[in-house]
Amino acid sequence: MLFRRLSRLGFRIAKELPKERHFSVCGRRILQRSYGQYLHSSAVTQTQTRTFRQALFSNNHNLCTSFSTSSGTSSEETKKINVIFVDKDGEEIHIKVPIGMNILEAAHENDIELEGACECSLACSTCHVIVMDTEYYNKLEEPTDEENDMLDLAFALTETSRLGCQVIAKPEIDGIRLAIPSATRNFAVDGFVPKPH
Amino acid sequence: MTSKAVFSTIRRSLTKPRGGAVSRGHHLSTSAATASESYASDEHAILMKGVRISGRPLYLDMQSTTPLDPRVFDAMNASSIYDYGNPHSRTHLYGWEAENAVEVARIQVAKLIGASSKEIVFLSGATEANNTVVKGVMHFYKDKKRHVITTQTEHKCVLDSCRHLQQEGFEVTYLPVKTDGLVDLEMLRESIRPDTGLVSVMAVNNEIGVVQPMEEIGRICKEHKIPFHTDAAQAIGKIPVDVEKWNVSFMSMSGHKIYGPKGVGAMYVRRRPRVRLEPLMNGGGQERGLRSGTLATQQVVGFGVACELAMKEMEYDEKWIKRLQERLLNGVREKLDGVVVNGSLESRYAGNLNLSFAYVEGESLLMGLKEVAVSSGSACTSASLEPSYVLRALGVDEDMAHTSIRFGIGRFTTEEEIDKAVELTVKQVEKLREMSPLYEMVKDGIDIKNIQWSQH
Repeated sequence: MLFRRLSRLGFRIAKELPKERHFSVCGRRILQRSYGQYLHSSAVTQTQTRTFRQALFSNNHNLCTSFSTSSGTSSEETKKINVIFVDKDGEEIHIKVPIGMNILEAAHENDIELEGACECSLACSTCHVIVMDTEYYNKLEEPTDEENDMLDLAFALTETSRLGCQVIAKPEIDGIRLAIPSATRNFAVDGFVPKPH
Repeated sequence: MTSKAVFSTIRRSLTKPRGGAVSRGHHLSTSAATASESYASDEHAILMKGVRISGRPLYLDMQSTTPLDPRVFDAMNASSIYDYGNPHSRTHLYGWEAENAVEVARIQVAKLIGASSKEIVFLSGATEANNTVVKGVMHFYKDKKRHVITTQTEHKCVLDSCRHLQQEGFEVTYLPVKTDGLVDLEMLRESIRPDTGLVSVMAVNNEIGVVQPMEEIGRICKEHKIPFHTDAAQAIGKIPVDVEKWNVSFMSMSGHKIYGPKGVGAMYVRRRPRVRLEPLMNGGGQERGLRSGTLATQQVVGFGVACELAMKEMEYDEKWIKRLQERLLNGVREKLDGVVVNGSLESRYAGNLNLSFAYVEGESLLMGLKEVAVSSGSACTSASLEPSYVLRALGVDEDMAHTSIRFGIGRFTTEEEIDKAVELTVKQVEKLREMSPLYEMVKDGIDIKNIQWSQH
């Protein structure tokens, strides 16, 4: 009985092993390091391990503890969509976001100045982004009451505002343009930008 | 020299122990002057602004404000002394206790209107709530929505906010009302445009007391997906209010109209479907970011208790007030003719009775009714010289608009007060009509409208 259960568990682990994973920072470091050797050295995995190592050595855990699994097997490239960030000076930054990743994480990976103070726990409004086209805004899912409550507190709120940590990349929003507001609710009127930017 | 004498008389009369008619304990049921002839000899008379009255007037002006219910005062008193912590302090017991008191009040207010407590925002009164909603909604949606619909009989704070928006470039439609004071629903439907951002119609009018067809208006707004705002300052605690039935997105409420304290009010802002506002008060993000600033705990607690009491006693109050209203109206109509009730008699809140007496001048009527505290028009227009714009919107002639008197009946009004008010009003109107040449002409059968008055 026990053996059967163990073997089933072992089977599942063996199945999941080759897939790419985005593990939480605390607790799985050792595993991730060993997987890094097994995984194919595709561009995606390199950025993943790179940012993981960055997080390891920096004190700010700006990686959100979210799971994003790819839909295919490890041999396929993760499907990505194009996302364009427009910062407060009007400069455009084009990035590619794998499907299933939330926008805040994607921004952090690409060193975009989007603060995520509560690390995707829906407790702040600092990852506030403005969807520049209404049709893309309509393609996103309706925000939950909790997200709306936090959005109420955001600085420079508009009709098409969303919290970046709640926008999950999907094929329908390929090419979405997101504007970053000029400030957050944190009072950095002296121009102070919190680390790790 | 003379002012000194006046002040010393006032001081003497105020500090003297009062006998008979007026005593501190009977503040609420104010007793009227006993005999009108004995003013000069009465030692206990009050001398105020050159007028001598022998007792405190009857208070029949419930629409301008209401006396504080003693039970509300008890709650506020305790809260003032004990809940002195800042309700937004998260780190210590004082803050937690004060926050708890505020949250209890929030639930009490929400229950009265059928909302969730998360949708209530406390502020300084219905005026602030009206300003925040009208300006805040339009400023938030200013890129897409440029049009506001309201009525001509709204409270001055709504109309002034709309005029301010007009100065900023928005367009406002002021809907006319029918002669009974109610909004014409077809006209409302026709004035809706694709860029209409807000419809604002007050639930119970403060001057004439008519109750608008809220459910129908709410249905129209829902069809066209336009946020519906209502100034319910005169409505809550008096008529059944339900934000779901009325499909209201914003509601303004006032504390001092329901036997609560002055200086506090609340705003209902719907959460589902979410409507957004640009706040008037920026700051630390208190009250959902819509009204920053420390809450006055004891005011909020008083407002909450007033709402709870109003919910419990609404039915009883309604019966009592309806009875008194009928007594007043029938009493006046028995003795006088030419008495017109302004506004619909059916769709009306019983505690507000606005009467016009034909062929009588309004100011002189008010002067003669020194022992009855009533208002002509509304408190907000009494400082200015214009006749009431609400009565003008009803299509009332100017001469009738000038003679209108608004009687406000409330929870603490007594039958004796009503009887005395009837007696004083009838006497004064008869006296003025005796002197009135217009009345004489009407009695002789001359049609006043055909008279050619000479140009001044």
